[in-house]
Amino acid sequence: MSEQAHEAVGDYRYGFHDPEQATIRFDKGLSEQVVRDISELKNEPEWMTEIRVKAYHHFIERPMPEWGNCNMLDGINFENVTYFLRSSKQTEKDWDDVPDDIKNTFERLGIPEAEQKWLGGVTAQYESEAVYHSIREDLEQQGVLFFDMDTGLKEHPEIVKKYFCSVVPYSDNKFAALNTAVWSGGSFIYVPKNVHVEMPVQAYFRINAKNMGQFERTLIIADEGSSIHYVEGCTAPTYSTDSLHSAVVELIAMDNAKIRYSTVQNWSANVYNLVTKRGIAHSNSVIEWVDGNIGSKLTMKYPAVILKGEGAHAEVISVAYAGEGQHQDAGAKVHHLAPRTTSNILSKSISKNGGRSSYRGLLQVTPKAEGCRSKIVCDALMLDDLSRSDTYPTMEVGNSTADLEHEASVSRISGDQLFYLMSRGFSEEEAMGMIVNGFFEPFTRELPMEYAVELNKLLELEMEGSIG
Amino acid sequence: MTYLDMEIPSRSSHLWRYTPWKRIHPSKIDTVPSCENIIINHDGDCNVKSDVRKTISSNDISRVFLNECNNEMTVIEIDGKGQLVHVNLISSSENTIGHIDFNCKGDATIIIHLSGSANWTGLHITGNVEKNSSVGYAFVNELDGNSTLLRCEDWKIHRDSNLEYGELSIGGFRNKTDIRTSLCDSNSMLNQTVAVHGVDSRHDDHHMEISHLVKYTNSSLVMNAACGDRSHSIGTGQLFIAKDANNSNAGQVFHNLLLSQDARADAIPELEVLSDDVSAAHGAASAPIDKEQLHYLLSRGFSPEQAEALIVEGFLVNTFSSLKNKIISDDLRTRLKIHLECGIVG
Repeated sequence: MSEQAHEAVGDYRYGFHDPEQATIRFDKGLSEQVVRDISELKNEPEWMTEIRVKAYHHFIERPMPEWGNCNMLDGINFENVTYFLRSSKQTEKDWDDVPDDIKNTFERLGIPEAEQKWLGGVTAQYESEAVYHSIREDLEQQGVLFFDMDTGLKEHPEIVKKYFCSVVPYSDNKFAALNTAVWSGGSFIYVPKNVHVEMPVQAYFRINAKNMGQFERTLIIADEGSSIHYVEGCTAPTYSTDSLHSAVVELIAMDNAKIRYSTVQNWSANVYNLVTKRGIAHSNSVIEWVDGNIGSKLTMKYPAVILKGEGAHAEVISVAYAGEGQHQDAGAKVHHLAPRTTSNILSKSISKNGGRSSYRGLLQVTPKAEGCRSKIVCDALMLDDLSRSDTYPTMEVGNSTADLEHEASVSRISGDQLFYLMSRGFSEEEAMGMIVNGFFEPFTRELPMEYAVELNKLLELEMEGSIG
Repeated sequence: MTYLDMEIPSRSSHLWRYTPWKRIHPSKIDTVPSCENIIINHDGDCNVKSDVRKTISSNDISRVFLNECNNEMTVIEIDGKGQLVHVNLISSSENTIGHIDFNCKGDATIIIHLSGSANWTGLHITGNVEKNSSVGYAFVNELDGNSTLLRCEDWKIHRDSNLEYGELSIGGFRNKTDIRTSLCDSNSMLNQTVAVHGVDSRHDDHHMEISHLVKYTNSSLVMNAACGDRSHSIGTGQLFIAKDANNSNAGQVFHNLLLSQDARADAIPELEVLSDDVSAAHGAASAPIDKEQLHYLLSRGFSPEQAEALIVEGFLVNTFSSLKNKIISDDLRTRLKIHLECGIVG
């Protein structure tokens, strides 16, 4: 990277960008015609076009949220966003066929290497669509369907039609409506009954162009008794103008199935990250969200689980790091609809250099949900007096047999811990980095090894210059 | 801005999510009804005078509305040497309203008892705890079972002062309470405790804001709610620590005991912390009656009703255990016991 480029990128190591080489690029701005054009370009069935158009009208009619960081939200100019940009003519199955610039980008991000070592499948999405996709042969033979969402719709329209918008309807919120109207890319996964996908499958999302909107849509269905671990990572270049990432993720865990969805979100500090993630857990199934938010300008993301079947379990582990100019508004929502359902939520956040982190959560127990148990723990660390930390938990309990606990604390790094490490020869900065890594350890230990190492490196980079 | 110019808060507003404004307004929401003054009887060494509450500059619809309904105010000045002031509020006509302003210096204990059968009661209490003061304050809501109560309280605590606040909410059909306390100067302290007992279809919505505006301030909030029948309790605690309020300590705990299948309890303990050198924590828990406790009492000859009442009593009495002002904690415990015993007798 040239010195000049480094200056622009700052400490954000993925802030580089390639020259834009679009094969199709829509003009900025959104209209019904843009929505219809996207659908037509993808040669979608009529029912999908109809959903898109309905969602578009809902998006237009629905006001912006009146809660959260309204000042930052007001900064989004929907007319200054490119809603569709195709960088590659098709989704390739071989790295060698991916256009060079894009291939170089993903190689710098370490995707091909990771795939060879420890992944069951990979989708790499660049701007609006997937440029590369592969799945291990043995998984394919077991009947596992893993496609980018556009291909999923083409090849298995009956499954997509059944589940699309079934967990997150387009009327759920303004940004879910926007995503439904202009979605492109994302992952489609179907795991057949009793198949266990032992190695994680991964999707990597990269925004390269200025003022780009990325609206991927992910649908994961784990049939009875199956299991899968899905990992996603996100980066974008650093520009002086903003980009918008508004994804929708829908998970369906059938009886006795298990889905783990891990995210390490490391968007650059000019990206609005407004995401709706929700899963439905049927009887005795498990849905786990492992959610790390390091980058972005404003993140509003509350992974949710609807515990619909008896004995279902939800686990949410969420960490957030808010640096200068960032607001990480993250949290979790769990709805206990069925008897004997259980949930655990662990949220950890760090605010530094004027950053703001918020935990916003909802725990709901409906009258039919006999004998539920839930525990929520929120811990926040503030590293200086310019920063801010908030928690907004809500507990709605409509059943007398529910057993719920919530605890939260906000504090600074303990002087005793710092003193102990420094007395053993670490500099203050190193000691602080170690304490922060330890603080996030419950999250990193749930990630695949390579991601955990990567996250620790990212945190170390973020912690550089913390002292003095 | 007048009430009629204000926008009616939507349910997306956190403060009005569980108790919409139209359910707490005494009549049609586009009217400001005329209200009788609440009857105020007081007992104790204090100086009482009448005044008019000045126009409220707040954006809060409750406070503006209460001011416009009737702004006649009773000012109670206590130049404290440890005296006890009893204030009985009797709400008896169709729509009743009261404004009270406390100005407290030195050491004092205030006990407010609200009763009556008014259809609707509005109450706005403001208080100033002057520097070097120590004030104990108890509020008991024993309105009749068909009454609606809209109550706002605003307290300011100044340097080297403390407010021990105890509340027992056992009356009324529908209650919306909004208590805001500002810790204005260093070494100010608030210890707030609230006990709620829900029976029948009682709806009790408590919103409590505590603002740490300067450094070296301390606050503690404990709310225990026991909900039976089809009752519904809501507790929202909004704890705000300002940017320069270093070395502040703040904690809030919400406990809900659910006694029946149809009861409901919501807890929303919120924290907004803008300063790093603070200790701030909150917790919330919700659970049914412990079966082991129930079994123990039943095995010792108590009837199921008596055993449940004893557990509820223990749970609610425990709310006030952190109050150092013995007069208010004893008063609140006694009133709670009488209330629960009356409940068992019927």
